[in-house]
Amino acid sequence: MATLTVTSLSIQLPGGQPMIDELSFSVASGEVLALTGPSGSGKSSILAWLTGTLASNLKSTGTATLDDIALNPLSTEQRHLGLMLQQDYLFPHMTVGQNLLFGLPPGVKQERWQKVCRSLKAAGLDGMENRDPATLSGGQRARVSLLRTLLSEPKALLLDEPFSRLDSDRRSKIREFTWQVASDLPILLVTHDADDIPPAAKTLALR
Amino acid sequence: MERRTATSLLGWGVLLLFVAPLCAGFLGTLLPAFGLVPGLAETEGFSVLFADARFWPAVRLTLQTGFLATALVMVLTIVCLVCVQRTRVWRWVLASLPPLLAVPHAALAVGVLFLITPSGWVARVFSPWLTGWERPPDFWVAPDAEGMTLVLGLVVKEFPFLLLAALAQLPSLNVEASLSIGRTLGYSPARCWSRLILPQLYPRIRSTLLIILAFNLSVVDMALLLGPGNPPTFSVFLMSLVNDPGMRAAASAGALILALGVFASFVGLYGLEQLISLWAKARRANGRRGATLNRWRGVGVGLVSAVLLFSVLGLVMLVLWSFTRRWRFPDALPQQWSAAHWATRSDVLVQPLVLSVYFAIGTMVLAIVAAVVWLELERLNRVPQINSVWFIPLLVPQVTLLFGWQAVALLMGADGHWLTVLYSHWVYALPYVVLILATAWREHDPAWHHAANTLGGGYWRVLSRVHMPLLAKPLCQAAAVALAVSVAQYLPTLLLGAGRYQTLAIELVTSFGGVDRRVIAALALMQSLLPLLAFFAALIVPWIIMKPRARAWQR
Repeated sequence: MATLTVTSLSIQLPGGQPMIDELSFSVASGEVLALTGPSGSGKSSILAWLTGTLASNLKSTGTATLDDIALNPLSTEQRHLGLMLQQDYLFPHMTVGQNLLFGLPPGVKQERWQKVCRSLKAAGLDGMENRDPATLSGGQRARVSLLRTLLSEPKALLLDEPFSRLDSDRRSKIREFTWQVASDLPILLVTHDADDIPPAAKTLALR
Repeated sequence: MERRTATSLLGWGVLLLFVAPLCAGFLGTLLPAFGLVPGLAETEGFSVLFADARFWPAVRLTLQTGFLATALVMVLTIVCLVCVQRTRVWRWVLASLPPLLAVPHAALAVGVLFLITPSGWVARVFSPWLTGWERPPDFWVAPDAEGMTLVLGLVVKEFPFLLLAALAQLPSLNVEASLSIGRTLGYSPARCWSRLILPQLYPRIRSTLLIILAFNLSVVDMALLLGPGNPPTFSVFLMSLVNDPGMRAAASAGALILALGVFASFVGLYGLEQLISLWAKARRANGRRGATLNRWRGVGVGLVSAVLLFSVLGLVMLVLWSFTRRWRFPDALPQQWSAAHWATRSDVLVQPLVLSVYFAIGTMVLAIVAAVVWLELERLNRVPQINSVWFIPLLVPQVTLLFGWQAVALLMGADGHWLTVLYSHWVYALPYVVLILATAWREHDPAWHHAANTLGGGYWRVLSRVHMPLLAKPLCQAAAVALAVSVAQYLPTLLLGAGRYQTLAIELVTSFGGVDRRVIAALALMQSLLPLLAFFAALIVPWIIMKPRARAWQR
């Protein structure tokens, strides 16, 4: 059971005004914590701080742990945090299969490829491994992007409004798909839309 | 004639004026090479060329310096992008780019020599306290026989050019997002660059790299200053032939071989690119995350900083030497300062300055007018959108086109005329002006036009009061680039001007070695200051143009 814990997080704007002040929360495996609030309240900055990519002109204090391991001293690539942004960012110079292979840890070539095909099949994208990402629909791209993140075996999942660019029909399907495939991870969800938040989720409203 | 047809013809006229000397130049090189021009070249030139003992050594030296310099420019650009971004050095890198891009090649070459010759500033700084030298050492020379001084000069000058081309492309590649995604998937920043960003970036900077390769293989003025004399580089060797009246055919044959060599290099680079691409594709998705970059990042930052510091110091040397009265080795700074030779040698300084300014302003005005005419007609669908034609003068060696252009000018009796020289400057400046303005012109929102039209503005009023002021920034940048290109033109001025026009570029190269070092520094400084002032004006003028409108709006 992995738990993502943030303690006493403060983020200051370049002028010194506080954006986030002494924020603490924790999310356990299988839980979803939704961060809500108006634009500029610091939701995305919290995710950037967690991944170690906070803009250098913002000052921050606080600690984050995942599985009791302090994240702050680790580089972004060592933190094992899966990140999904508003855009899917499928790499255009790779096929769908290569995008997923990019997420997978190294291993035997055939086994890795089989894993990619299996995960595509499970996501209803059977036979799309050699497709150019540009030929996929928005919903298909979102699923591939999520699969790529999960195949990298993250210990927690950070979602920054990942459904906001989808139309309402696809949106509900992708939401269900996400909660289903990432059900064993702590999930931190940033959203503007109350419909994105699953019923059992905790909500933290920022001002 | 219908108005639509007449305006289309105007556009095609601009294109014809641009393409005609290129075609004439190519034919004027091709025909003499095979001895097909009575009175100028009556026997083929290839056998004479191949029989010359300097031929193969010059080819070897050119390939060595051209490829090495291009490879180093590419490596340095990648190192800069991967290691230096998001460090404190980055802002200094960005700040140093405009002056380094503006300074002409020959002026920077002089600065480089002032640094690395045995009596140069680098030796002075470490002497005598570290080296023990009380006199300039004699165990190295610059320029050196292997052309490493030339390679250094080319790298210093071309690295900012490729870096700028890469920086212009990065915003469209979502670099920050790709790095975030790649790193949260567990990849080191270097792997994110090599597997995610560079494969997308390279095709977009390929044309710039080809321009640099063509330039490095065929440069004349820098090779005269920084390259060895025996054997010289191939272009310099050809210049010695073209100056000999009986060797026109051999010079033309050599110019053709140079063009073929450059083209073969493009093909070779493409082949290498395919091999690297195959290798990279096989590794791209193997899942290996790579080590963190921290160990190498410092090395990369140090390397880029050293190259840029070296370039800027080269410019500082021009200032120091041009105001020096007495500067003995091994002192790091002059003992006595003086501006006297600026006045006493005004014969060498003033006339070239005035001529350079005339040609530069003429080139700037004509290039801006031609580019605006073409792009405006393109916007109105009167002429097609073409990009490749503008690249021709940048990709074909100057020697190849200008030997032929000179031959045609000789036959037409137009050589040595100021209009011919101005025309050649215009041909070499126009591609940069069109390519700079094209992006801004094509991306300019047509809604501005529609809005102004609905308010009752006619075509000319909208163009002059809305379109041009909104595009003042790229227009001023393009004008500054046109001026910088004209000031730097050595070979067109020399060959088409028949030696009658002693511009700063000509005076600097021809005087080097024979004139006082302080006067050389003053010439190089003046040649650098003209484009620097133009780029400074390009920052200020759009602000001045837009400010009264902004004030009026606030009122």
